[in-house]
Amino acid sequence: MREPLLEFIGHLRAAGLRVSVAESLDAAAAVAAAGLEREHLREALAATLVKDQADRPVFEREFERFFRASGGAPRPPRSGRSWQGMSGGHGVGSGNQPPSSRPIVDPRRQPGPGSVREHDQAPGQEKNRSGPARDDAHGENSAQAARERSMGEREGMQPGARIAGTREVLLKPFSSYTDLEYERAVDLLAVLRRRLRVRLGRRRRKARRGQVDFRRTIRAAMQSGGAMLDLRMRARRPRRVDLLILADISGSVRYASTLMLALVAGVEESFRRVRAFVFIDRLAEAGFERGHLTMQSALDLYARSDFGRVLAELITRWHRLLTPATVVVILGDGRNNRRPARSDLLAEIRRLTRAVIWLNPEARERWATGDSAIGNYARVADALIECRNLRDLEVALGRVGDGMRPQHGLAPKAISGRG
Amino acid sequence: MKVSREFIAEGLRQARYVTNERVETALLLALTLEKPLLIEGPAGAGKTEIAKVLSAMLGSELVRLQCYEGLDEARALYEWNYQKQLLRLQADEAGGLHWEELSEHIFSAEYLLQRPLLKAIAAPRRVVLLIDEIDKADEEFEAFMLEVLSDFQVSIPELGTVRATQRPIVVLTSNRARELSDALRRRCLYLYIDFPGVEQERRILESKLPELDRAMAEAAARFVNALRKLELTKQPSIAETLDWARALLELEIRELDAPALRATLGLLVKHESDRTLVESKSAALLARAPRSPSRNP
Repeated sequence: MREPLLEFIGHLRAAGLRVSVAESLDAAAAVAAAGLEREHLREALAATLVKDQADRPVFEREFERFFRASGGAPRPPRSGRSWQGMSGGHGVGSGNQPPSSRPIVDPRRQPGPGSVREHDQAPGQEKNRSGPARDDAHGENSAQAARERSMGEREGMQPGARIAGTREVLLKPFSSYTDLEYERAVDLLAVLRRRLRVRLGRRRRKARRGQVDFRRTIRAAMQSGGAMLDLRMRARRPRRVDLLILADISGSVRYASTLMLALVAGVEESFRRVRAFVFIDRLAEAGFERGHLTMQSALDLYARSDFGRVLAELITRWHRLLTPATVVVILGDGRNNRRPARSDLLAEIRRLTRAVIWLNPEARERWATGDSAIGNYARVADALIECRNLRDLEVALGRVGDGMRPQHGLAPKAISGRG
Repeated sequence: MKVSREFIAEGLRQARYVTNERVETALLLALTLEKPLLIEGPAGAGKTEIAKVLSAMLGSELVRLQCYEGLDEARALYEWNYQKQLLRLQADEAGGLHWEELSEHIFSAEYLLQRPLLKAIAAPRRVVLLIDEIDKADEEFEAFMLEVLSDFQVSIPELGTVRATQRPIVVLTSNRARELSDALRRRCLYLYIDFPGVEQERRILESKLPELDRAMAEAAARFVNALRKLELTKQPSIAETLDWARALLELEIRELDAPALRATLGLLVKHESDRTLVESKSAALLARAPRSPSRNP
């Protein structure tokens, strides 16, 4: 049992589930306890390997695929690999192949979307090769099984490729996204949202100052024989943060902006209130409906960015949103087309609110070049964070959620994402 | 611990907890592997009930720790009974006991207030420890729980280390108000409980309320099931279904129609906005829950 189990866990990992070594040991013990009857096996594995209902569909798919042919108890190790379509005589014939050899091309070794042709061919070939053998082995269900299996294989290529691509997409600069990569980034958002929610839940810190905590003070006093030598403090309840987002959606930074808004939309409940605006040369309130960006009023998409005008509009029209509990997050490259930067307005906003954090999707080297006014804003904002890719964005939003002024004082240059 | 599937099934039957194989297997594993069981699912689907059923099944005490924001070790683990210690000190003032003697005395078990975690660990017999709504507690507390769950021992500086003689059976529940850490998930067995389907809910009604006739149970289960498909602020829980069915029995309502519904809806739907929504759709909902002509079992 051990070998098929390990192999199954390998498939789960390839499909994106995180399974620790301790959990695989648990799974082995669980199978021993629950028995090999199919449904019991399924639930025993699920209880020990799938720790989030959201992962359950993936588990079900892999389980069905892996334990299909065997009808209940998993087969002995050798034919346990038959899920790959190598059932019947074929499986026996390949007995001396090393375990890692697979009948299909390893998707991870393929360079990328360019090799679509190979993807399409692989399952077809596979079907031809093992079709007859399977008919003998499985009788009437075989046709359907073959269909499902060949479908499964085509799908099956995606998880592996996706995992390999994950890191790549996380670190890919927004500026060099293709539409395909943008789609992949959108797929990744669900994972990032979940991680961010965990991170934002961790906001409660023990403050050195705060209210006196009577219970703990008195308890501490008992150690000194009843004399209250030391006051114990209770951390003030964490103030929830109001978030005000301004996102530049002009051509150069639109991927970064839409991804950030989508990410924030998923963790909305971690903030007390979230208001989002998109802008180019004027503001439009933004929202998300079913994952699509919606704007309250139309924006001229061919306009050129004008940060100064946008800041002025924020102060005059949306003054009531600028409260001491608000953290203002601005995403933009600060390229102002040589219009007035009006960093005095940003200073005014800064004065009214809890913090102003500027996320710049541009590479640090280019910040002070050309028509970039980012230097002017940097002097005023609490933090200027380089935010070139999804990972930077995740880190930056986590810090915004902390709702704290940067620890390094107000010198914004000292703070960056990962430089 | 050696338990069989039959033992679990029998225990569930005795406790009148109607469920499926998934839950049975999870309970079997929790008892055999002696690992904490993390149960997630919507509020009111019967998560907490499982711990109660377990304790009834094993004939052991249920120790419950209700989590909330700001829960700390003092209220989860132990605390010195300060007032009692102070009284003791004052009473002894005239007696002239030596400090060593005195301090040894006031830091003895007599002056210790056991909170649920210590109680579960120090218990002479195996207990079922229910840590309810762990998602409501802070992250720090969760980290502290990890430590307790892996060692089942607690050191009290003045007293020494207390170690569990018999590992408690631990059940944690969560409504996902906050994401739990992966570390906690890794250490637990996982079980997701959703609202029951029509068939299962009917069986629940029948097992808890044998007086209810079959057609009525069927109609009630169907109706509640349809309610849960609406976008309500709060979905009706199983306990509420039972209350409602009990009310239908008390009022001797034999047919589920609009007036009967209006009279009893308050037991199922507890928000004004939900109520208006349900009443506006009651015709369609009742159609989906047909007043089946008495087909007796």
